[in-house]
Amino acid sequence: MKDLIKQGSRLGLIFGVVIIFLILFGLTTTLSDILGEFVNIESRTRTGNPAGLMIFFAILSLWAGSKSTSADRSNFKSALISGVSVSLIIALIISALILLVGYLDSIDVSMRDYLAQLDHLSVSFLLYGRELAAGVLITFGIFFVFGILGALLSYWYETKKVGEAIQKQAFILKDKALDSKLAKRYIEHPRAKWIGYGLLGLVILLTPQFLGKYWNYAMGTVGIYVLMGLGLNIVVGLAGLLDLGYVAFFAIGAYTMGLLTTPAPIALQLGFWPVLILSIVFAAFAGILLGIPVLRMRGDYLAIVTLGFGEIIRVLIRSDMMAPYLGGPQGVRDIAGPSLFGLSISSEKSYLYLIIMGILLTILFTNYLQNSRVGRAWMAMREDETVAQAMGINTLYYKLMAFATGAAFAGLGGALFAARNQYTGPADHTLMVSINVLSLLIVGGMGSVPGVIIGAFVLKGLPEILRELELYRLLVFGGLLVYMMIIRPEGIWPAPRRMMELHADEGDGIPPEEGLVGEEG
Amino acid sequence: MSDPKPKKTAKRINSFKVTQVIISILFLAFLSWRLYTVISSGVYGPDTWVRFAISGLIIGSVYAVIAIGYTLVYGILFMINFAHGEIMMLGAFSGYFVFEALKSIPVASTGMSFLDSYQIISVVLAFIVGMFMSAMSGYFLERIAYRPLRGAPRLIPLISAIGASIFLQNAAQVMFGPKRRTYYNPMSLARSQGWRIPIGGEEVILTYTGALTFVLSLLLLIGLYTLVMRTRYGRSMRAVAEDKQTAALMGINVDQIISNTFLISGALGGAAGVMWGIHNGIIYHYVGFIPGLKAFTAAVLGGIGNIPGAMVGGLLLGIVESVGPAALGLDFQLKDVIAFSILVLILIFRPSGIVGEVLSEEKV
Repeated sequence: MKDLIKQGSRLGLIFGVVIIFLILFGLTTTLSDILGEFVNIESRTRTGNPAGLMIFFAILSLWAGSKSTSADRSNFKSALISGVSVSLIIALIISALILLVGYLDSIDVSMRDYLAQLDHLSVSFLLYGRELAAGVLITFGIFFVFGILGALLSYWYETKKVGEAIQKQAFILKDKALDSKLAKRYIEHPRAKWIGYGLLGLVILLTPQFLGKYWNYAMGTVGIYVLMGLGLNIVVGLAGLLDLGYVAFFAIGAYTMGLLTTPAPIALQLGFWPVLILSIVFAAFAGILLGIPVLRMRGDYLAIVTLGFGEIIRVLIRSDMMAPYLGGPQGVRDIAGPSLFGLSISSEKSYLYLIIMGILLTILFTNYLQNSRVGRAWMAMREDETVAQAMGINTLYYKLMAFATGAAFAGLGGALFAARNQYTGPADHTLMVSINVLSLLIVGGMGSVPGVIIGAFVLKGLPEILRELELYRLLVFGGLLVYMMIIRPEGIWPAPRRMMELHADEGDGIPPEEGLVGEEG
Repeated sequence: MSDPKPKKTAKRINSFKVTQVIISILFLAFLSWRLYTVISSGVYGPDTWVRFAISGLIIGSVYAVIAIGYTLVYGILFMINFAHGEIMMLGAFSGYFVFEALKSIPVASTGMSFLDSYQIISVVLAFIVGMFMSAMSGYFLERIAYRPLRGAPRLIPLISAIGASIFLQNAAQVMFGPKRRTYYNPMSLARSQGWRIPIGGEEVILTYTGALTFVLSLLLLIGLYTLVMRTRYGRSMRAVAEDKQTAALMGINVDQIISNTFLISGALGGAAGVMWGIHNGIIYHYVGFIPGLKAFTAAVLGGIGNIPGAMVGGLLLGIVESVGPAALGLDFQLKDVIAFSILVLILIFRPSGIVGEVLSEEKV
């Protein structure tokens, strides 16, 4: 009993603190707006939707309550006790916060100067547009009632074995579907794979026709990130070298495209296609130049050095010293677009096709490399460098090759990016680009091509759809990285080999040694 | 052992070392030529050089305090606590809020605010709160983002740390707003005031905030060094750094030690943040990132995992960064380039740092 209360209050404390931060971040307002829209209730205050907020709080407390019974779900009394203690603690914490905030607001203390999300409007929203006492009481009630309800629901769920029943049904259905003659005939047909690819290709080719200008642009950005993700995938995913300065190669590609095709500051004005090749070559060359000294380092040192290199490039391109050659903080303008067979490529749609073409080529190239001697050497190196060396693999050579190939892809991405925007400047080449690319790789699944594509859509495409959450994009992003590392380090769609490596310890019970990835022997 | 292979590798290493030496000599020659031309050209008088050196020492001492945070964690967990700069930022914000709160409390007897009436108490309070908040953030950071990953391949905690860094940065931006804030210092710590030292006919100002920062950093460094090297607690910390399993067998609570390491490194980061705020005056959500990177550079420069090394590295980096652009006749915008170039060069040519790494072979 005492243990139950203690455990319950601890959980309540954690939930309470998390919800306090949600309120301080202003996420409550945004999320309850979305929820309110979803359940289609008209909003009554200017800042948000009080009904949505109530639903949001109710869901949170249901969740907390259902979590509380994890210790002993089968006993009604213990479920009730832990549910009551959790919901009481949460309700107390949140209503105390709202009381404090509401009181400070009512005596005209401007909290907005220090906590940006707590202005007058959002405080009145937290009180559901009512009086202080009423608002606090409603909050307390919601958390208390729904917390206990959550605990009881999870007790009911457990005792009635609802979950098991549902799971069983699902399994039966799945087995039936897979066992049926029809499925056997179509799924296992040798040509089924190719038909599937063909359909996918058709969908990809047709979608840009139906998307508007804005969406074509957004998808183009996703595509460029897919390109860069594929490149970094070779460096990090296949060869196991953590590169945090990947943006440097992107910048080199973009600036090559920018400087060689524009009238100013270097009046060369070459055509698009030769410069595209040149940007790829320059980026690859820079990759080799950086790689020669750097690749002898230990894994995490390599990360920091590449990060430092990225920062050096960024500071250099925005410095006044290089401004006569690189355009300084203003960047390079009026980058010319390409033409293909006499057709000028200038609309978002045609760029999207160009980018898709680039992606297809890189995927073919990656697949070819991955299944060749080179790819096997990379993977061997990633898994154990010493053994790879003993097997006669020249690790430095293959590392350089991985670095150069990855850099070449980034150069291609940068060149396309600059040409599409007709502009490139220092603001396009911040550290966040490197981190974005790395994150999409991690979220999607390292070492796998479909993983990269999924990751790019999740990290670059989803924020376009959820525009309300724009402010919280990076916040969620950081949290997601930590969460993924803890829960699913192999990503959403991992490469099969990589999954085996990361879960090796679960199979044989031998704890893995420290520091095995990308390490210099 | 007369195989041809070992000989071949030995030869390769040698040739690499020879190229290293040649490149270093050429590089040094170029540096000294550049230095000679700039100094003999007389663009900067002696007072300017002293001014650069002073500001370099002050900023370097802050880097040293942050660098210790990296070094402590690296020494024990062999991971780069990428979010350490953000912990410093949180400390800076806490100190700012303390000053703002004290500023708004009037004291009847003096007719001024609490901040100006009781200046020493206010500053001490700001440091205590800043260190406490940062220590707590460090503690929870470890509990949430690093502890579940212990024993995972090295890349994974590093990515988690990057995620935590992005999260904290943006949490601060969303919570406190993106605008830049000015630290409102107590009266006698006004940023323009200080001792005036006459040098070569000109006056060089050594600000009180700078002196406070420097002295406090040295005290913190000495205190930490004593804690780690002279006390029983420090001995258990070093034991955990050397070998976790053996330390656990000797009755040391390893998890506790690691948690406390994050507490200590967080507290140092918080102190650095408050010093940064008091001395530099401007804080915002991104304020910890670049100093964090540079402090890491400093830690590597001195030899990561090595406490005196981090101090030396921090001071050296501060001086090089502030004297460097002038000495090489470069633009002052490029001081970050100098700092990061040093990082790259050190890691290439002497990865064990100036003072040397305290790492046993098997861990490397």
